[in-house]
Amino acid sequence: MAARKASEGLSKLVADEVQRWGSMKPTGVSLRYMMEFGSRPTERNLLRSAQFLHKELPIRIARRAIELENLPFGLSEKPAVLKVRDWYLDSFRDLRSFPEVKNKADELAFTQMIKMIKVRHNNVVPAMAFGVQQLKKDLSPSVVPTDFEEIHEFLDRFYMTRIGIRMLIGQHVALHDPDPEPGCVGQINTKMSPMKVARAASEDARSICFKEYGSAPEVIIYGDPNFTFPYVPSHLHLMVFELVKNSLRAVQERCMDSDKDALPIKIIVADGIEDVTIKISDEGGGIRRSGLPKIFTYLYSTAKNPLEENYEGVHQGVTMAGYGYGLPITRLYARYFGGDLQIISMEGYGTDAYLHLSRLGDSQEPLP
Amino acid sequence: MAAKNAMEGFTKAVADDVRKWGAMKQTGVSLRYMREFGSRPTDRNLLLSAQFLRKELPIRIARRVIELENLPFGLSQKPAVLKVRDWYLESFRDVRSFGKIKDKHDELAFTEMIKMIKVRHNHVVPTMALGVQQLKKDLNVSAAFKDLEEIHQFLDRFYMSRIGIRVLIGQHVGLHDPSPEPGCVGLINTRMSPVQVARAASEDARGICLREYGSTPEINIYGDPDFTFPYVPLHLHLMVFELVKNSLRAVQEHFADSDKDVPPVKIIVADGAEDVAIKISDEGGGIPRSGLPKIFTYLYSTAKDPPIENYSIRERGGVVMAGYGFGLPISRLYAKYFGGDLQIISMEGYGTDAYLHLSRLGDSQEPLP
Repeated sequence: MAARKASEGLSKLVADEVQRWGSMKPTGVSLRYMMEFGSRPTERNLLRSAQFLHKELPIRIARRAIELENLPFGLSEKPAVLKVRDWYLDSFRDLRSFPEVKNKADELAFTQMIKMIKVRHNNVVPAMAFGVQQLKKDLSPSVVPTDFEEIHEFLDRFYMTRIGIRMLIGQHVALHDPDPEPGCVGQINTKMSPMKVARAASEDARSICFKEYGSAPEVIIYGDPNFTFPYVPSHLHLMVFELVKNSLRAVQERCMDSDKDALPIKIIVADGIEDVTIKISDEGGGIRRSGLPKIFTYLYSTAKNPLEENYEGVHQGVTMAGYGYGLPITRLYARYFGGDLQIISMEGYGTDAYLHLSRLGDSQEPLP
Repeated sequence: MAAKNAMEGFTKAVADDVRKWGAMKQTGVSLRYMREFGSRPTDRNLLLSAQFLRKELPIRIARRVIELENLPFGLSQKPAVLKVRDWYLESFRDVRSFGKIKDKHDELAFTEMIKMIKVRHNHVVPTMALGVQQLKKDLNVSAAFKDLEEIHQFLDRFYMSRIGIRVLIGQHVGLHDPSPEPGCVGLINTRMSPVQVARAASEDARGICLREYGSTPEINIYGDPDFTFPYVPLHLHLMVFELVKNSLRAVQEHFADSDKDVPPVKIIVADGAEDVAIKISDEGGGIPRSGLPKIFTYLYSTAKDPPIENYSIRERGGVVMAGYGFGLPISRLYAKYFGGDLQIISMEGYGTDAYLHLSRLGDSQEPLP
């Protein structure tokens, strides 16, 4: 049974440790550094990486555990949030109780442990979403999402940190891969083709649309198919998938209401010196200017809410819409490596989403 | 010879009057109100309008005089800026010394006077531009644009206020038109076709481009040509002209050394319930993300500084493709004046999209900085 406060369920010792580590300064890593370091997976480097994570992960985890216990509006007491907090505390204790990493055996054991930590936290996003939804139900229905400014800012920090933690763990684990794909350093593909990833993500989005509506608009992609640059394909896939999913839904609903033909979604991939920019354009009728700020708030959605109690197995059946988490989290992924996501709309016509991905690779991780 | 301080050139009485009126509260007017009021140009309404302006204009003018005399970095002392300040002071005195408006005769005289005020201020933009440019030269060359933040904010307020004053004067003068265009109320066309205005502005921009480069890209406009809504065509023309001019230049320069076909600039006009949105897209190579904040600063330009000393010719006669660095910031002020906006997004290595949002509702009050 999840205890209301950490100090009630665990020893005071752990609570003090959390406080102490939570006030230490986190250390950021750049994409370029991850790439260079990870390209030489010697035993010495594996050891150094493990020792770094052994000190760095508890700091990041403790910061979030503290925040989770001090959320406004009683959010911290919601069962789903307590569960997430317990996951963070368990992971913190696992790390803190692991002895010094001195040799290869230690390092292998450490790697196994952080692998399990990553799995433990797999469903954090829907769990938190559920907690916030519970809060929304409890509060007055007239409380508009913008009143939740503090909660939005917390969620932004929280999810950004999660992206970072999972990135670091993923990179370290992948250093052990005996047979990596050519050009890949962990989750980073040094020769990622944005067009290829965009194509794959679009097809995934189209099939979801097809399942839900019985048809799906075309997606046309323009750009240099031979252009590549270093990036994390899983991140880009996630972002393009989300944006194309939104566009497909908008176009589909619009042509169901009227008799218009389903016009294709257009994706343009442009490579500059500073950025790779990906524009996803639809003619799905657009969003009115007064409604635009809402689309980046958590739990704003124009669809019926599909969140269920059983959030453990939720990622199996991805739905077209409903959480209200797609856009805010997509933007966090874009910003994680120094990029950005901007959405502009023309009411009565359609919407353009601009994904800017930084090519320079020198941006430090954001460490909220 | 322009005096350094108002008090030296003018009587203390005037200086006190400026301070008094500069502290009074401004009254905003909405597009809808201008339209409705202006559609009934009865003698009584003309009188009401004149009496309102007689009280309102001095307030707005005085606020700007006070600001003009208190600019940072010594901007207030630049000859061009002193000239502008003098124009504002003269106009202030003209309105303040005008007697009460009691009848049609007074009202006609008042209208003539504010017409002349408008003409007096015709060249304020290039004159201020010259003053700021003089300042730039004097300051350390490495002074970053954000160091001039205070000046940017002043210029935004200053030009926004100027737009308002000229709209109010223009509307009042327009009420006297004995045979106005059908559907028009002063500067407002109650049935303005954005596609039509965009076409005209684009052709003007292409003409300039042709003159400067010897050729010009095509412009394709998509949208319902029969769609109309109430707006000020002059403003829209100005904004579209500016944006298309930038796009044409970008495309022309980007393809200058290449054999490829020059891609057309595309304009899309969309009508929604809240807004009319106009997107101007080019494939002119785009702007790097790090360079984007600069484009809305005054006096940032990627063109050689055109000689603006002789600014009296520049404004109407010989419009240049680029150079002032005032085009985008002022276009955005026009967009915001009636509750709209201008956003520019770019894809480095590809092209740039400019989004003009024009509010349809017409209830927004004028911004009164």
